[in-house]
Amino acid sequence: MSELGMIIDIIEGTTFAMTPLVLAAIGEIFNERAGIVNIGLEGIMLISGFMAVVAAEATLNPFIGVLAGVATGAFIGLIHGYITAYLKGDHIISGLGINLFALGGVAFGIEAVWGVRGYHTPPDAAKVPDLPVINISPIFIAMILIVIGTHYLLYRTSIGLKVRAVGENPEAADVVGVNVERVQLLATIYGAALTGLAGAFLSIDWLTAITKELPAGRGFIALALVNFANWSPLLALGGGLLFGFFWTLGEWIKNMAAVKAVIPVTLMNTIPYIATLAVVAGLIGKSRPPRYVGRPYKRE
Amino acid sequence: MNDVIVQMKNIVKIYPDGTVALRGVDFEVRKGEIHGLLGENGAGKTTLMKILSGLLRPTSGEIYIAGKKVSFKSASEALKHGIGMVHQHLALVPAFTAYENIVLGLPGREASREKIEKLMEETGLKVPLDALVEDLPFGVRQRIEIIKMLYRNVDILILDEPTTNLTPIETKELFHTLKELKKRGKTIIFITHKLREVLEVTDRITVLRRGRVVGRTETAKATPEMLAKMMVGREVVMKIEKKPAKPGEPVLIVKDLWVKNDLGEWAVKGLSFAVYSGEIFGIAGVEGNGQTELVEAITGLRRVEKGQVILMGKDVTNRSPSELYRLGLSHIPEDRHKLGLVLDMTVSENSILGIHRLKKFLGSLLNLKWRVIDKHAREIIEKFEIVAPGTRAPARSLSGGNQQKLVVGRELSKSPQVIVAAQPTRGLDVAATEYIRKLLIKMRDKGKAVLLVSADLDEILQLSDRMAVMYEGEFMGIAKPEELTEERIGLMMGGYKMEQISAGTKPQPAASS
Repeated sequence: MSELGMIIDIIEGTTFAMTPLVLAAIGEIFNERAGIVNIGLEGIMLISGFMAVVAAEATLNPFIGVLAGVATGAFIGLIHGYITAYLKGDHIISGLGINLFALGGVAFGIEAVWGVRGYHTPPDAAKVPDLPVINISPIFIAMILIVIGTHYLLYRTSIGLKVRAVGENPEAADVVGVNVERVQLLATIYGAALTGLAGAFLSIDWLTAITKELPAGRGFIALALVNFANWSPLLALGGGLLFGFFWTLGEWIKNMAAVKAVIPVTLMNTIPYIATLAVVAGLIGKSRPPRYVGRPYKRE
Repeated sequence: MNDVIVQMKNIVKIYPDGTVALRGVDFEVRKGEIHGLLGENGAGKTTLMKILSGLLRPTSGEIYIAGKKVSFKSASEALKHGIGMVHQHLALVPAFTAYENIVLGLPGREASREKIEKLMEETGLKVPLDALVEDLPFGVRQRIEIIKMLYRNVDILILDEPTTNLTPIETKELFHTLKELKKRGKTIIFITHKLREVLEVTDRITVLRRGRVVGRTETAKATPEMLAKMMVGREVVMKIEKKPAKPGEPVLIVKDLWVKNDLGEWAVKGLSFAVYSGEIFGIAGVEGNGQTELVEAITGLRRVEKGQVILMGKDVTNRSPSELYRLGLSHIPEDRHKLGLVLDMTVSENSILGIHRLKKFLGSLLNLKWRVIDKHAREIIEKFEIVAPGTRAPARSLSGGNQQKLVVGRELSKSPQVIVAAQPTRGLDVAATEYIRKLLIKMRDKGKAVLLVSADLDEILQLSDRMAVMYEGEFMGIAKPEELTEERIGLMMGGYKMEQISAGTKPQPAASS
């Protein structure tokens, strides 16, 4: 293969690898800006990925599959948001619940729907088609637009002002008539919907498969990315780009016979994680979370 | 002008944990007056006003605004009726600009920079709209809060202890503003426990004590003694007796100390001073001028970047708190919940925090000897007259005053030579305050050195043998309290150095870097 071909391959690979991470991280940044922590990203990706395959395969329409993924994410966000914002429940416990439910639920679901254990590949007609000419997913393009849109929403609109105020000082927002709980609930739904999109992207676009380990830790990487990006959507895009690049590079190196013989593949798999952590942690330095993040707001 | 605009009838408030805050309060405010709501900590002033401003709902009782019965479900509903409250801990978002804070929650089209600028022009309340609130001094933040309310067309403005964190000059400006707003027909409710202020600025006064109204009067007919008596329920000793100090050796010496705050900025800028045994050295100043960082550096909780701390003749710069304790240092921290106690642990457990390694508390298997520890706790309870359900009750179950006494008792049980007391009476009622102040004087008379840091100017003036005023990490001057007039202290708190004031030249603010 020519060198140009290799470079194009790595670029394309990077666009795929970064998309689910950035989507989930942007979603989480949005709800954490409103003060709600959702550690259930991994679980949401998994359930949404599963639902996306089910819907896409049933209708043979990938668009419906994507919608199903987003809707599933939004629905889980609704539950998490209701528990944390309205019932003042513990954010971590609720998020943990999502992850645990997903683990069992999807493993069971795969068996129940397709009668196989742990792995199913949807037909080609259910897959999101790539863009013409270059091998890039339309969801990648959507992701870029979402990053820009979310950034605009957070910093340039009165909605963003409300969201950030609720995460920084809910009392101040409450006093001037912002409905703290509703803002938190809506932010959580938005955040989880983006994570749902990430799940659909994994199962009916990039990997075109559903397994019970579909997200493979990406939900947790996204959580880390939120911190490293200092709760800024644009920085999260940069961090995702780095991770995607190292991941693709790692895949490339790991398939070279000479390397394979010396270094175990599992060790090679850690390259993108360690490289991203090193670069991003070195670049960003001290981050400042929203002041009220993860704390239930009670008036009395 | 005598129309009643606010009428609260038989208001009762019982918190979910069973605390009875208000026991049937009737409260009335007339249109266009400044009404003082006076009372001690825990009298229910803030609770009553939070109910009026929609933040809390009363357990029972009725509220009438301009004759119409209302029942607010939220602060925004009260705002729509023209009632706005400026909280003691201002309800601002520190990470936002002044402008963002003012327009927060308004629909986009109502947010107009021009209108805000016009309002600032008209009322004389000027603030930098594009500065981040966290970078602004407290007085300016408070103005932002008032503008925020006025911009929402508030007619009834409630101010909760608005002068607590203000310099005397800022307080004067605030009073001027309030009178100006009154001229414009606004009604103002002024919550305070400061007699002088309530007498200076209000038209009528309602006094609360333990959730009940104990007095109503026209300000013109009131005297400080009469109000104090109503507020506390007994005559208060306003002055504390103390013998002249007999200072001995310098036991705590600070030399050219430089300390950074959490944001990495210089908070203490080259301070040098000494505290002698047998004296109380007070540090006054508006909070946030580096006092916290200074105390933390001296007590081993924060890194000293440059300079020296010398305790009992030994260089202890950047040593650990346990080493400092062994050399005879005790620390009564400013935040008893954060640094003083572990609220969910028992009185006994709290009574040995920091001294738990002492041999007398440990058995041969490094097990804690609970009988000895309980006895230690009981001794503290008796000696310091702490009201506690028992030694095995959680510290949380004690009232604020008794919690603080527990901290003080533990620290003094370490038989220290140097006591660092930061805001030792904050949030305490009159009786507990008096008790702790007398105790500090007693320790001084026993030959201990006391470094007292307090935002309560009266406390510094009452207790200190020598005092300094701190401003932006520096001392504006060190003097004996009796040598300073209130005006001079006020100027120093506002950033004028003592030499400049004494020189009689037109004072210039101290250069800040």
